[in-house]
Amino acid sequence: MADSNSKRKSYTADFIKSDTDEAVFLGNPLMDDMMTSIIALGAEVWANRRRTRIIELLMEKEGAVTREMIEAYVPTEDEEAEMRDERDAFIQLTYGHIARTGEDQTALDGSAKTNPGKASANETDDDMTGDAGMGMGG
Amino acid sequence: MMNRRTLFGASAATASFVGALFGSKKASTATTTSSKFSSADVEPRGSKGRLERLPRQHLEAQHDFITGFRVFANRDMTSAARRRIAKIMRAKGIDPTKRLSYKEVLGHVGGDPLVAASARMWLSAQQINWKTLYDEFHGNANAYLAEMEATDNAGPGTLELNPDMYIPEYLTHEIHIQPGGYVGDEFAGHIYHYGTNNFFEGRNDQDELHIGLATAMPEPEDGKVVRVLDQGCSCGQLSVALKERFPDAEVWGIDVGGPMVRYAHMRAVDIGIDVNFAQRLAEDSKFPDNHFDIATNNIMFHEVTTEAAHEILAESFRVLRPGGVYYPIDFYTGNPAPKGVFSTFRQWWDSRWNGEPWRLDYAKFDMAAAMRKAGFIVNENGPPSRRGARRNILGTKPT
Ligand SMILES: C[S@@+](CC[C@H](N)C(=O)[O-])C[C@H]1O[C@@H](n2cnc3c(N)ncnc32)[C@H](O)[C@@H]1O
Repeated sequence: MADSNSKRKSYTADFIKSDTDEAVFLGNPLMDDMMTSIIALGAEVWANRRRTRIIELLMEKEGAVTREMIEAYVPTEDEEAEMRDERDAFIQLTYGHIARTGEDQTALDGSAKTNPGKASANETDDDMTGDAGMGMGG
Repeated sequence: MMNRRTLFGASAATASFVGALFGSKKASTATTTSSKFSSADVEPRGSKGRLERLPRQHLEAQHDFITGFRVFANRDMTSAARRRIAKIMRAKGIDPTKRLSYKEVLGHVGGDPLVAASARMWLSAQQINWKTLYDEFHGNANAYLAEMEATDNAGPGTLELNPDMYIPEYLTHEIHIQPGGYVGDEFAGHIYHYGTNNFFEGRNDQDELHIGLATAMPEPEDGKVVRVLDQGCSCGQLSVALKERFPDAEVWGIDVGGPMVRYAHMRAVDIGIDVNFAQRLAEDSKFPDNHFDIATNNIMFHEVTTEAAHEILAESFRVLRPGGVYYPIDFYTGNPAPKGVFSTFRQWWDSRWNGEPWRLDYAKFDMAAAMRKAGFIVNENGPPSRRGARRNILGTKPT
C-alpha cells in the first residue's frame, strides 16, 4: 500500500485482502451498508458536537477563537469527563433502541430469515471450545 | 532518558506539515507539547503521558466516538444478543450453554435480527475505525514516513528491518480486517496502535494492560534475567513494559511486520526506552541457542496456524537457556474455555468476518501438550497474567 508518489521505503510485503466488505448480516447488503453509514454519521455528529463544545469553552476562556486554537485545544480532565457522559448519552439516544429491537417480533422457532454470511473456507463442523474473546484478545 | 524531541531542533518541515493539517502556515502546538519539535516529529496535538495524541481534533473526536460505541456494542448489544440467544434456544428446548457446532448455532440463531445486528454493528465500527486512521496516515504519508526515517537509526535501542525476509502466507492476511494487515501497509504500526486503543476502550492508552502483563511475568527460579524476548511484539508496548520491569536486561521485540517494528522502535525512542526491535519470525528467530532467560508473547498464538504454533514452540525452546521460562499469553491458555451457543456465534463471526482465520484452530490447540512435546516442563497452573484470570500456562526449559 505504498504511497505511489513516494520513493521512500515502505518495508511492506504482499498481503491477502479480506472480503469483509461482502458480509451480509442483515439480509440485504444495502441494509448492512446503511448500518455502517449510520454509525459513521454518528461519529461525525459527535465530532461536531465536541468541536462546538470546544469552541464554547474557548470563547469562555479566551473570548475569541481561531482555527488553530480549536485544533490545539486539549480538554481538561473535568471537561473530558463531562463530554464522555454526553457522548454516552448521545450513543444511547441514537443506538440504544437497536439493543431492544424486535423483542416481540422475532419468531422464536429460529427459522433463518436472514443470511448471516456466506460459507467460509475456514468453517468446519467441529465444536469450538474457546471463550467469546472479541477480536484482538479482549 | 533521551527523548527524540530533544535530539533535534525545531524545523520548518514540521511547521509546514502542521500548517497544512490546520489549513494555515502557522504551526500550533497543544498545551502539553514541547516547544522543541524534532525535525520530523509529527505531534501537533502533543502527548498525554506516553500516548501521542491523534494529530487532529476531528480525528480524536471520531475516535472518542468509536471508543464509546465499542463500549455500547460490547455491553448493550452483546448482552441483548446473549439474552436473545438464550430465549431462542430455550424455546427450542435446547440448553443455551450446550456446546454445538457453529453451523448448528448459525442455523438456530443466525437469522435473528438482533443477534445479526450485534455482529454487524461491531464490525461496522471496526471498519470505520480502520478507515479513519488509514486516511489520516496515508493522507499525510510523506510526513509520517519522514518521521519514521528520522528514528530508524536513532537510539536508545536498535531497529533491524529485513525487507527481503521470507514471510509465510499465513501471516499475510488482513487480521482484524486492518487494511494491509501487519505486513502490507507502511503505517501498520500507527494504525494498529490507535485502532487497538479504542478496542481496549481507552483502558490501554498508557500501556496499562501491557504494564500489568510485564508486572505479572514470572522469572526463572534462579532469578537471573539477562535477556528477554517478546515474540509478535506489534507496536512494542509489552517489550517496552518488559524493559521497565527488567531495566538491566537486554530486551528484544520481534515481529514479522517491518512497519510494525519500525513504529515500535520510533515509539520506544520517543519515550526513551532502550529496546531492540527486529523484523523476524517467531519460528525462525535467528538468535543463538540458550540465549534468553524469559520468552513471552501476548495474543499471538491465536493468529498462527497449528503447524506454525508447533514450530514457534520448538524455536522458543531452542533460544531459551536451561532454567529459562516460557510464558505465552492468549485466550484459553491457562483458563478453562467457556462454551455455549452465544460464545460459538461470536467466535464464528470474529473468525470469519473480523479476519481471525486461525482462531478456530487455536481453540482446539492443546497448548500444554504441544509445549511438553517441544521439551518444556509445563505448569498449567502458572501465575495469572492479569486480574480476572485464574492461571496461565508456564513452561520451563529443563536444566
Ligand atoms: C495481536 S498482535 C499482538 C500484539 C502484541 N503482542 C501486544 O501485546 O500488543 C499479533 C502480532 O504478532 C505478530 N506475529 C504473529 N505471528 C508471528 C510470527 N510467527 N512471527 C513474528 N510475528 C508474528 C503479528 O505480526 C502481530 O503484530
